[in-house]
Amino acid sequence: MGNINSKGTDQNTFDAIVIGSGISGGWAAKELCENGLKTLVLERGRSVKHLVDYPTMAKDPWDFPHRNHLTLKMKEDNPVVSKCYAFREDAMQFFVKDKEHPYVQEKPFDWIRGYQVGGKSLIWARQTQRWSKYDFEGPARDGFAVDWPIRYDDIAPWYSHVEKFAGISGNKDGLDTLPDGEFLPPWEMNAVEKTVQKRIMDNYQDRNVIIGRCAHLTQPKEIHLQQDRGKCQARNLCQRGCPFGGYFSSNSSTLPWAAKTGNLTMRPDSIVHSVIYDEKKNKATGVRVIDAHTKKVTEYFSKVIFVNAAALNSNLILLNSISPRFPNGLGNDNGLLGKYIAFQNYRGTLSANMDGFMDSYYYGRRPCAVMMPNFRNVHKQETDFLRGYMVFFSAWRSTGHSAGTEQMGEAFKEAQSEAGNWGVSMMMQGETIPKETNYVRLSKDKKDEWGMPLLSISVDYDDNDEKSLKDFLNQGAEMLDKAGCKNITTNDSRQAPGLDIHEVGGIRMGKDPKTSLLNRWNQLHACPNVFVTDGACMTSTSTQNPSITFMALTARAANYAVEELKKGNL
Amino acid sequence: MAILIGGAMVSTEIFFSSCKSNAKEEFFTTEDISLLDEIGETIIPATPSSPGAKAAKIGDFMKVYVTDCYTAADQQTFFEAISKTKNLSEKKYGNSFLKLTVAQRRDILNELERGKPVPVKNQMKAPAATGDAIQTGKEQAADKTKLKEVPDRYFSMLKELILLGYFTSEPGAAKARRYIQTPGAYHGNVPYTKGDKAWAT
Repeated sequence: MGNINSKGTDQNTFDAIVIGSGISGGWAAKELCENGLKTLVLERGRSVKHLVDYPTMAKDPWDFPHRNHLTLKMKEDNPVVSKCYAFREDAMQFFVKDKEHPYVQEKPFDWIRGYQVGGKSLIWARQTQRWSKYDFEGPARDGFAVDWPIRYDDIAPWYSHVEKFAGISGNKDGLDTLPDGEFLPPWEMNAVEKTVQKRIMDNYQDRNVIIGRCAHLTQPKEIHLQQDRGKCQARNLCQRGCPFGGYFSSNSSTLPWAAKTGNLTMRPDSIVHSVIYDEKKNKATGVRVIDAHTKKVTEYFSKVIFVNAAALNSNLILLNSISPRFPNGLGNDNGLLGKYIAFQNYRGTLSANMDGFMDSYYYGRRPCAVMMPNFRNVHKQETDFLRGYMVFFSAWRSTGHSAGTEQMGEAFKEAQSEAGNWGVSMMMQGETIPKETNYVRLSKDKKDEWGMPLLSISVDYDDNDEKSLKDFLNQGAEMLDKAGCKNITTNDSRQAPGLDIHEVGGIRMGKDPKTSLLNRWNQLHACPNVFVTDGACMTSTSTQNPSITFMALTARAANYAVEELKKGNL
Repeated sequence: MAILIGGAMVSTEIFFSSCKSNAKEEFFTTEDISLLDEIGETIIPATPSSPGAKAAKIGDFMKVYVTDCYTAADQQTFFEAISKTKNLSEKKYGNSFLKLTVAQRRDILNELERGKPVPVKNQMKAPAATGDAIQTGKEQAADKTKLKEVPDRYFSMLKELILLGYFTSEPGAAKARRYIQTPGAYHGNVPYTKGDKAWAT
């Protein structure tokens, strides 16, 4: 670390530093800037400006030389990221390529990353369910991980806070397994989905089928117009960046909002090496940054630091923040930093046909699916596995149908141009149990080109996941059968953990400094002016998509940090 | 993070996945492109309502796709399809495919698609020519000992690529099927009458 530039300390000093500009970093920036804090946001990747840097947003299928498929070379060069459903010709510019940023897989783990301003908020799948009280109570009731230090009521107002600003569409369904939020109008189900919904709910007292909740402006309100964002146009080309600002991303929403306050300093191409800990002051004083291009090291200083580098990279930064006081990583007095990583089980899928409904079609491309909130072990333990799974499904008509005996020519072409039969696809999103044996650590001998140790990942499924998967496939097949579907097939993708892109934990929240890293306000127990509010803070995973909960936790923690600063406590 | 939004692309995606190597760039002569255009046009002809595969420049598309996206093994199979088309045209009609009438061209391609009779084993299934992955059980019920016409893979591969290329081209997507980049809204239940066009995306 020679040649550290500590000159100009004043100009390198801010009230707050936020590490990372993705979905949670953007929220930290917005809340801190709005509260008058001079805030530096550090992003390791390049700048991506809303609209300006979305080169594919207006392209048609024929504008892509390979019609949005991957070339053989792209697949061969990227065995990991090319498995991701959204890594295609139209959006590959927003994903980390395998060779750019290697990591160590002690066990197979598909680490999908987006290193740019906005991070993965540009390319996320935008499904935004609140956690229920059952989700927060899970670890304590079932005796795994540690008890969450907060409950649903603690975070509920902050869900409302972020939902109003981000814009969340949904139906008020009145379910305690999936609490309602501040919703814009819901998306519609199509005719087959409505039929499947009715038949499942008629057959199962304990199961609910509802339209998905997602971060799309189905009807923008004043607060969204103030962000220069407009109505979602049902393009479903979101991963390219949206010309209408129809879905929520840091780029379209929180970062420009933060910039408007005049309090934001945005520094892309800034790789955070470590958090600086001052032994005399007993607190963190800043961060050490490596310029991605020049590799020059610069130190920046602030009163509070928000770590929002994305779950596993936040672990890496704290593990790499070594000092005499914290020889095993910042805040890591109990040795648990990097442990209890969890993810979500996506292995199970089903597909089926539905006869009939040939006089019905749909218009537009809906950016969400139909959801079935978890119905397993909700009120008490009922199965041979812990927790449960969310079910997603959607129905669609195939394009083209068989033209009888004609396999070429006019009649064949006409048949291929028409809508075909209905199909139904179903998938699971299973809760996994955080375990000490699922961990990340720093490689002892391998470093990247900036001299940072590579992250070494050891995460795997367990018997609970296998049982949950099996149950989903059985229940899914039974439900599709009762819904009147035909040709039902089940599939276990056997995909590695990571491809769900819902990895969380390693810097978990908890009540006791002996068994957790963060307190109920997301402060490191042992270094309270450092807050971790991205996926790394999660004590458990629930069956919900995680991002809206990171957003709410971040807004809550940022406003707490502001209050504590005012009181002189930080 | 992923969410299932329809499955229309799945079968072609699987169909074209796997392997390695560079295409023989020189294989795609101007004449080959013309041949591919005409094979494409025979399968997807121009009709009163929309242009055909030739107008969609299917030959140029196939050259790019086969060169960049196919494995060496798949490229080999693809070139085989071209050779067989040429050879059968000469053998059966004593002329190049390009000089045949539409009826003769269809006859050649139909013969290539049908393949030559081979014994069918119980688990053997004909590849679905339309890319529709879901099949009925009828085929398996066929007499196990009967000689059945099973198309070779090369032709279904060629045909799949023509369908992919055509229906993602502007004429195929926006004229043969329906394409709107920016629908503006979503409606879950709109009337459909037999013969209406499918959404291209």
